[in-house]
Amino acid sequence: MGNLIAETLSSSWMALAILAGLMVYFQVSISDPAAKKRAVFKTFIGIVSCFFLFMAIVNYKTNFYGESRLLPVSLVTITVTTFVMALYFTNLSAMLKVGGFMFFVAAFLSGYGNWLPQVEGGFPPVEEKKTWDSMSSQQLADEGEKIIFGGVGKNKEQGAIGKGQCPLCHAFHAGMLGERAPNLLGLPTRGKERLDDPKYSKGNPSKREYEVKEAFAGSGTAENSQEYIAESHACPSCYVVSGYGVKGTNDKQSPMPAIHKPPISLSLQELAAVDTWMYVREGIEPPPFEEIVKSYEKFIPEADRPKMAEDKPAGATSLMADGSEPVDQIFAKAQCVSCHTIPGIPGAMGTIGPKLEEGTTAAQRIKDPTYKGTAKSPAEYIMESIVDPSAYVVKPFPDNTMPKVFGQKLSAGALKKIVDYLSQVKAGAPPPKIS
Amino acid sequence: MAPLTGKRVFSIMALCMMVGLLLLPIVIALPSPAIGEEAPAGDTAKKDGDKVEKGRDVYYKTEGIVVGAPAPKTTDGPKDYPRYNFESRVLIWFANQQHLYYGSFVLAVPIFCMIIEFMGVVTKDKALAKRYDQLAYDFIKISLTAYSLTAILGGILIFTFLTLYPAFFGYLSSIFRPVMHIYALMFVAESGTLYIYYYGWDKMKEGFLKWIHLSMSVVLNIIGTLLMFLANSWIGFMMSPAGVDEQGRYLGNIWHVIHTALWNPLNLHRILGNMAFGGGVVAAYAAYKFLAAKTDEDRAHYDWMGYIAMALGVAFLIPLPFAGYWLMREVYAYRQQMGITLMGGLLAWLFIIQATMIGILFLSSNYYLWQAMGRMRGAEKYQRYIKYLVFLLICGFLVFITPHTMVMTPAELKAMGGQQHPVLGNFGVMSAKNGGINVMITTTVLSFIWYMRGNKVSTVSWAKFGNIFMGVFFACAYINIIWLAIYGYYIPANVRVGLSVPQVATTLSCLFFMFALNSVMMRGAKQMGPIEWGKISVRSQYALIMLSTAFTWMMALMGYIRSSVRLFWHVNEIMRDNSPWAYTHTVGFAANMISFNVLFFWISILFVFWMGSLSAKKVPVEARAGIPGGVPQPAPAAGH
Repeated sequence: MGNLIAETLSSSWMALAILAGLMVYFQVSISDPAAKKRAVFKTFIGIVSCFFLFMAIVNYKTNFYGESRLLPVSLVTITVTTFVMALYFTNLSAMLKVGGFMFFVAAFLSGYGNWLPQVEGGFPPVEEKKTWDSMSSQQLADEGEKIIFGGVGKNKEQGAIGKGQCPLCHAFHAGMLGERAPNLLGLPTRGKERLDDPKYSKGNPSKREYEVKEAFAGSGTAENSQEYIAESHACPSCYVVSGYGVKGTNDKQSPMPAIHKPPISLSLQELAAVDTWMYVREGIEPPPFEEIVKSYEKFIPEADRPKMAEDKPAGATSLMADGSEPVDQIFAKAQCVSCHTIPGIPGAMGTIGPKLEEGTTAAQRIKDPTYKGTAKSPAEYIMESIVDPSAYVVKPFPDNTMPKVFGQKLSAGALKKIVDYLSQVKAGAPPPKIS
Repeated sequence: MAPLTGKRVFSIMALCMMVGLLLLPIVIALPSPAIGEEAPAGDTAKKDGDKVEKGRDVYYKTEGIVVGAPAPKTTDGPKDYPRYNFESRVLIWFANQQHLYYGSFVLAVPIFCMIIEFMGVVTKDKALAKRYDQLAYDFIKISLTAYSLTAILGGILIFTFLTLYPAFFGYLSSIFRPVMHIYALMFVAESGTLYIYYYGWDKMKEGFLKWIHLSMSVVLNIIGTLLMFLANSWIGFMMSPAGVDEQGRYLGNIWHVIHTALWNPLNLHRILGNMAFGGGVVAAYAAYKFLAAKTDEDRAHYDWMGYIAMALGVAFLIPLPFAGYWLMREVYAYRQQMGITLMGGLLAWLFIIQATMIGILFLSSNYYLWQAMGRMRGAEKYQRYIKYLVFLLICGFLVFITPHTMVMTPAELKAMGGQQHPVLGNFGVMSAKNGGINVMITTTVLSFIWYMRGNKVSTVSWAKFGNIFMGVFFACAYINIIWLAIYGYYIPANVRVGLSVPQVATTLSCLFFMFALNSVMMRGAKQMGPIEWGKISVRSQYALIMLSTAFTWMMALMGYIRSSVRLFWHVNEIMRDNSPWAYTHTVGFAANMISFNVLFFWISILFVFWMGSLSAKKVPVEARAGIPGGVPQPAPAAGH
């Protein structure tokens, strides 16, 4: 608050000085005592309003880029100021009130927008180079699960979604209803049934009744289960499961995009990983990696195959650390070391913020009666302090010193590494190993 | 038949000229699609004989000869993304939004003027006709000042694009090259027509000439609408490209480029949105003048103006959700993931804000109507029922804003015990939401009908039967809407979607049949007293301001949502955004930016109003005459 007032004064001193000068001028130039009193009073109101107005502007300016929820306060301040001014400047009263009210509506809506949970759409994931052909089936399946659900072991988590975006429409487990697309449980074995369906028209694509007869001219139809899976990824409209077509097309066209094309653009290797997971999770031995890739090559012509990571234009990233680095580098990249002392991290001798011995202090702080955050465990507390530093401010350090952008600037992996490390740092104990 | 006077000949010539201006771009445009604009590349192709390269249209799936370069693959650097020391995306956002506000305003006001001028022409009451005419004139005058500002903002927008996104803008203009000159000519046609329409007002105010003048406004609006359609084709292309192959190469068919999957729904949505917005701006202007009025006469005039503007705005607001529904359906049909990103993914919270805003709009307009009943004698009988309407509106509103599937953090997910709230989550499904919004619209229709019959008692012999019929009709409508909303829970999703049709049909039946029935019943009705224009609470004027600010805010919000759904694509799936701003801002940042844009617009439009008032003309004295029998008795127009 002190900073805000100081900055307000430094920005508004000229305007305030003019108004103060005007007040002195009225004091000496108006002889009628009633008129003098009125003029001086109005100028005083003007000074107060002017100060508030500048304060609102300074607050707006300071917080424009932060995720501060104080921003709408500026708008409310302006509203109050305009209504106060309208009381005394009657000739401009309507305009001030209308303007003030509009500010109020905007303030309310801005406040509402800031009050809602803040979700920020990150950059498209940075492609990393992988040596697919040397991976074991399980490793491939793990990669596949990451592509589908965003992480290993996440397949039963509600709302988990990865680059492939499959769970947006498909369900993967028994009893779960996929309203937009078929449930994919049992897909490896179901492929054969599909091939036997007369509508599939195995070996004779020209007889198909669907919008697209073949993935590309001469590609033909699938001959086995794996090829069926590959074809359904590469050419979803070559065969549409009854009831899941685009509305109004009588199941002749599928709403599913071709997965190797934008916006999803999975490479053939990624598709092979996805398929491998489908087999492995059902306890079925998957076909060899090369064979799966080959099944896709049958339905995706060379020119349409997405390029590998290294050939793609560099995607921009604003992340300070993506989580692939060791934790000491993450601390350095995010500049934590400048303000905090962190046992075990070279160069982390900062004193602007508290010493980070969260293995001991986090639990104590959660129990502190002044703690108003939502964390229930030390790990949650550490995460909260990073993404929302104002949730609990360690005494005697001031609030709003730590930036509130780390939630956006650090990847989930990087945050997890920080939390894991800090929760092991205990006062008086040797620091944990850097991983 | 009246002899052809010089004035008449002049007017007919002016009208012909306008039609000529309208047709000119179309005539010029005809050869382009016909030959497929393949001029330079086509020649090369012919020379190369067999080397003609063909591509497949990403949307229409037709084959065409490649005549354009592929979409540039940009990289983050000064070549593709030169920048000032500021986020370029925010700058372009600001420039775009301001241009759009003014563009909407200058396209909406002539439609507004056309309707009001037409009302003036067909109204038998001379004094009222003059008043309508004066109102239309006042607004076309304001639109003239706003028109030059729109052009300036358009220039700023293009310069901003060229400066900050040269590669992207270069690509878009290369695609739209065959129609760029038509776009420019449409501007010339719009300006020419607007000036003839405005300056011909006084010279063409009686009889046949007035009809010619009115026809000019029709031509003006056709040009304006076509202009908007062309502008929409750019955003339609960015969201759902067509007419190009997978690499973004133009295939020579400009109609495919323009007529993308989302073009028509966007066109309809924007026309209705512009009208509602135009009504909102005029209503805010009237409210401001009402609050600033010094005399009863002025208050009466601006009260009347505010009412007319609000009524027109709300008339277009009512079908807006249905147009939005169509747009969304087309989005889902085009790309399911796009629809999910909007309604159940990254942008879903913004739709919660939108739902809140729709609620605010309906609550404000209803509140205004209830307040407006205070200025007519006899309307007291409805006052005691208003609380029930409030109840219905609030219930509809609460159901409408309840979210269902949201993007959440694992902690939030855990705290809630699932992706849906155990109790409230049940209300968030589309079935309930459709019920909620239809209840709100039906209630607004009911409020309007009460307002229209506020100071009247029907004298038709079947009045009692008519009243009972209306009551039963509304009761059945509410029961039907609510029942279908509940029934939707018991049937599969694909069948449930179809329920919105009978729900909407019920609401529209209330709108059309009940309005018609009410009008017939109120023909020759006994007046309990005149509408005392100007005797309305100050609060009602704040409701109007709330309405207009909310309109403006919602426009910016929806524009932001529409634009953000492309995520990291300049042109969806064709040209990737590789700038440092290829991520989606938080809801809070977007809300702050929207507020900034809204407030900037209102401050600048106040300036436009002020400019308009500088040249305000005196209104003929006879226009001040009071009009008996419940028709408006407003004071003269701006400037008094």
